[in-house]
Amino acid sequence: MRGAIEVLGLQKRYGNHQVLQGVSFSVNAGEIFGLLGVNGAGKTTALECIEGLRKYGGGSIAVHGKLGIQLQSATLPDHILGREAIALFAGWNRVKADPALLEALGMGELAKKRYGAMSTGQKRRLHLALAMLRDPDILCLDEPTAGLDVEGRAALHALIRQWRDQGKTILLASHDMAEVEALCSRIGILAEGKIAFLGTVAELTEKLGKHYTITLKTQGRTERRETDDIGQTLLQLLEQVQAAGETVLDIQVSRGSLEQHFMQIAKGA
Amino acid sequence: MRGFLYGVYLQWKLDIRSKTMLITCYLVPLLFFAMMGGIFSATLPERALIPSMTVFGVTMGALIGLPPSLVEIYGTGVQKVYRANGVPHCLGLVLTNLSGYIHLLIMSGILYLAAPVAFSAEAPAHPGLYFGGLALFTAVSLSVASVIGLAVKDQAKTPMVSLLIFLPSIMLSGILFPIALLPPALAALGKLFPATWAYRLITGQGSALWPLLAMLLVAVALNPVLLHKTGKTN
Repeated sequence: MRGAIEVLGLQKRYGNHQVLQGVSFSVNAGEIFGLLGVNGAGKTTALECIEGLRKYGGGSIAVHGKLGIQLQSATLPDHILGREAIALFAGWNRVKADPALLEALGMGELAKKRYGAMSTGQKRRLHLALAMLRDPDILCLDEPTAGLDVEGRAALHALIRQWRDQGKTILLASHDMAEVEALCSRIGILAEGKIAFLGTVAELTEKLGKHYTITLKTQGRTERRETDDIGQTLLQLLEQVQAAGETVLDIQVSRGSLEQHFMQIAKGA
Repeated sequence: MRGFLYGVYLQWKLDIRSKTMLITCYLVPLLFFAMMGGIFSATLPERALIPSMTVFGVTMGALIGLPPSLVEIYGTGVQKVYRANGVPHCLGLVLTNLSGYIHLLIMSGILYLAAPVAFSAEAPAHPGLYFGGLALFTAVSLSVASVIGLAVKDQAKTPMVSLLIFLPSIMLSGILFPIALLPPALAALGKLFPATWAYRLITGQGSALWPLLAMLLVAVALNPVLLHKTGKTN
């Protein structure tokens, strides 16, 4: 099946620094794909190459559909009002802004607000609205929730899922593991200029083990064990407590987060 | 076309809101005119008040007012947002120049109408030639200002570079005192600036069309080269 975005052997160098060393991945139509990586891993560079905003040294990129782009370092003139920015880009692209979309992104409150007076989150929402103006098939979002409060993040996550349900393909670059875990059907982890992992969140967890953490508290001490086998480890801990004649005050079992897995991959790359 | 016209209108409004163009295109030239008009009408030859004040205003509005707007677009991530949202890379340059042109013509019109009333100044003998020359001079000044804005691309450095061209333009062009009073070397240096030739042209002091056209050609040719450099994404 042809992907909405196909990246093959992408290479990019800044001076002597090879940022991307043959990055390959594809994004299926209608999915939310997360491109993960620590700061400086090359996520934004890869995204900007895909968006046609940056030249690349080698490899190939194929984009099958109309792109909507929300940049990480986006800015507009300080004195432009929200509604003027929408009107400028809508007018230039000969499209009419969808009132429902503007409403969903809270553009009403930003209509008469100067760009320079907007908060980071409000600016993000405005740039998302601009990215959606042309009703794109594919949305490239670079750290879309950076600077948003909890409520804003939740609202934006709901909107991204809604766009996915409408058939749009979404390529999301983020270093926020919780966000990627909550939204993405597949992920690619960029580490040292290469794709260190490509697959679903479940596959990543499977690959790296379950990584449960057991925390057991008695009167005298707190014992913490990391394990893939909860039953066996818990049994051992309880036997130790019993042998020492202690009383268990609390037991907590937590599952390893995607963040832990990600760090494991990033470090191991 | 509607999108383009809206862009020009919006840029015109943004220029006023940003205050830089408001101050350099209207406030300072008109205040200078109000304060110095009486003195100049007594010291300058007849019919020279309107041209001298206008050359001062256009030079100031273009050289000091335009570059910051260009730096705001091409020295920051704004141009990237334009490109990402389907707007041509050159649009910022085109819009700021057109908007600047309108502002400067409005200011020149105000001076043209106010000088006879305020200081009994005589209007130019040939209004057609005067406005033709002014239109050309405005285009030259804006093109030179665009070269500064696109080449420097730094909010802190731009005003200094602009002043380096603005001050000799005013001092050596003959609009404040006759060029004949200048030492020959400075008089020769003054010929490098459009203001000198523009003042000659619109006061009918000899042929100045070709030097102005040559300056326009050079500045206009440099603009796409510099624009291309601002859009380079290594």
